[in-house]
Amino acid sequence: MAMRRNIILLVVLFSICAVAFCFLLKLPDNSARKAAHCRYPLALAIGSQTMVLQPKRIISLGPSVTKAIYLLGAQDKLIADTVYCIDPPEVKKKEKIGTVTEVNIEKIFNLKPDLVLATSLTNSKAREKLKNLGVRVITFSTLKDFNDICNQFLELGRLVDKENEAKEIVKSVESEIILIKEKVKGLYKPKVFVQMGARPLFAATGSYFVNDYIEFAGGINIAKEARQGIYSREQILKENPDVIIITTMGAMGMVAEEEKNIWQKYETLSAAKSGRIYIIDTDEITAPTPQSFVKTLADFEHILHSGEQNEK
Amino acid sequence: MRSKIFYWSAWILVLFCLLLAVVLFSFCAGPVEMPLKKILKVIFEGRGSSEYSILFDIRLPRIILGFAIGGALSLAGVILQGMFRNSLVEPYTLGISGGAAVGVCLNIVLGLSRGLGIISLPVCGFLGAILVILLVYFLSIRKGILKIQGLLLTGVMISFISSSLIILIMSVSHTEDLHGIVFWIMGSLEEPNWLLIKLALGIAVFGLAVSYLFCFDLNAFSLGEEEALHLGINVERTKRLLFIVASLLTGFSVSVAGIIGFVGLVVPHFVRMLVGRDHRILLISAFLCGAIFLIFCDSLARIVIAPLELPVGVITGILGGSLFIYALSKKQVSLGDK
Repeated sequence: MAMRRNIILLVVLFSICAVAFCFLLKLPDNSARKAAHCRYPLALAIGSQTMVLQPKRIISLGPSVTKAIYLLGAQDKLIADTVYCIDPPEVKKKEKIGTVTEVNIEKIFNLKPDLVLATSLTNSKAREKLKNLGVRVITFSTLKDFNDICNQFLELGRLVDKENEAKEIVKSVESEIILIKEKVKGLYKPKVFVQMGARPLFAATGSYFVNDYIEFAGGINIAKEARQGIYSREQILKENPDVIIITTMGAMGMVAEEEKNIWQKYETLSAAKSGRIYIIDTDEITAPTPQSFVKTLADFEHILHSGEQNEK
Repeated sequence: MRSKIFYWSAWILVLFCLLLAVVLFSFCAGPVEMPLKKILKVIFEGRGSSEYSILFDIRLPRIILGFAIGGALSLAGVILQGMFRNSLVEPYTLGISGGAAVGVCLNIVLGLSRGLGIISLPVCGFLGAILVILLVYFLSIRKGILKIQGLLLTGVMISFISSSLIILIMSVSHTEDLHGIVFWIMGSLEEPNWLLIKLALGIAVFGLAVSYLFCFDLNAFSLGEEEALHLGINVERTKRLLFIVASLLTGFSVSVAGIIGFVGLVVPHFVRMLVGRDHRILLISAFLCGAIFLIFCDSLARIVIAPLELPVGVITGILGGSLFIYALSKKQVSLGDK
């Protein structure tokens, strides 16, 4: 009796599931409806005339991208960005669609963008999903050095139809950098440690663009060869840097101040002896455009060589 | 006997209605305003519009995945709790989620997903889960007998080992990889691949069907293993099969959606309070309740701090835990079996 009921129930269950499953399989498969891959600016030839289509509704998913768009003067095309995009101040008025890492797909889709500029920090599932929905997504990878910054900036310029502006900015920045390099040529190269995080102790390694600040400004990055950013305090004491630069790491600079105090307690450390431990605002360092790069570079140059200039 | 069937049918009907309500709520909930009236209009007339796309390409996949994952996890919870006669066991206790997490972390750190595409993440997760299942299984089988206590202890130890391994991997990985790992561990029902969603649904339903074949055996198990043996049940075969079904359900769910906690622990208890301990009704209602719970939590996660989105695990933990404590203090039921 019980067994028979069991079987009947099972059959009913199975048929419900089977119907549901069939219904589901019939649904339109949207992964097939992928966006046709086209390059902007898209040139359409109609008769003898050539029309150039530019993206008009751009969404930026990274503070550095937003900054660069403003720098290029393409802010009218920017319709939305992340809550972390606060520079320049007028960007706060733009629509917000999430954080750098976690974005709201529905909201992005509903704004009908024709170009989404993502970063490598954007959730990869979200990027994939947007592509499946037919939105054009371009991902900017992590910045490894100054060349990367310039190349991405030029690429962005091309995308938003401000190629000439981008080229000009890069050119002027490059000449400024050459000036700085000339200036530090022949000066003593101090050993530098740039601290990007406190717990765990995190260093700026050679595969991160911060390394270029140090090298262009005529310093030696003691963590250049490190494969991972996590660094030991002992190793730093052994390398004995002449200068330590601490980034604020959020939290109103409290952590950075604490770290500075910790470093000052090591009497053998030459940076502590000469009092050359500095704190730099993180926003200045990360999210760089070519322009902000050269500004920060000037700060670095000042920090690394101010002592010697006084002696001269 | 007849009244029992009526009672059960009534329960299932109620749960189906609830499921329908939650699905509708989930269709409406989101940063883009969609009142019920508009939804109907969009469904029948709006083909090709962006609202249609939001409903069917963004919200529907999440609902279906929520149904499958919620159902599968709480079903696995019921099976394992019934089998172990231990109310603290949940799908993640046996280290399966840990194994999946290690698989996914290795994939991210070694950069496989960049070369092989994002689909390799769930594949690696599932491989990790299978590895742990086999390990736990063969470590606790002695002379053809599956030792329940050994199974539990090995599982717990393996989950400790794998969480240490994850921390090890995280400590040596690059910043952008770290984000990937953290995302995955937080768990999410966002899944771009339709095939995986369909597969998850198929496996969940299949798991329900197979475990339903063993509902009488599970009832007998609640008396104790020896008693079940005396009732004429092939204890060893049943244990093995149920263990494999539950771990496959867990392994697949975890590798698709990441670690979404609490569904597999709280929902089975809650359902047991509502419908009683008879596995004939318990299995189905737990499946449905898990699905309802997860879809509801996911909708909440989308709207609480819109346009930002909370990880769904946050809502399941807070909502599930507090609801459960409330129910417990009201009913004063003992958590132990019998």
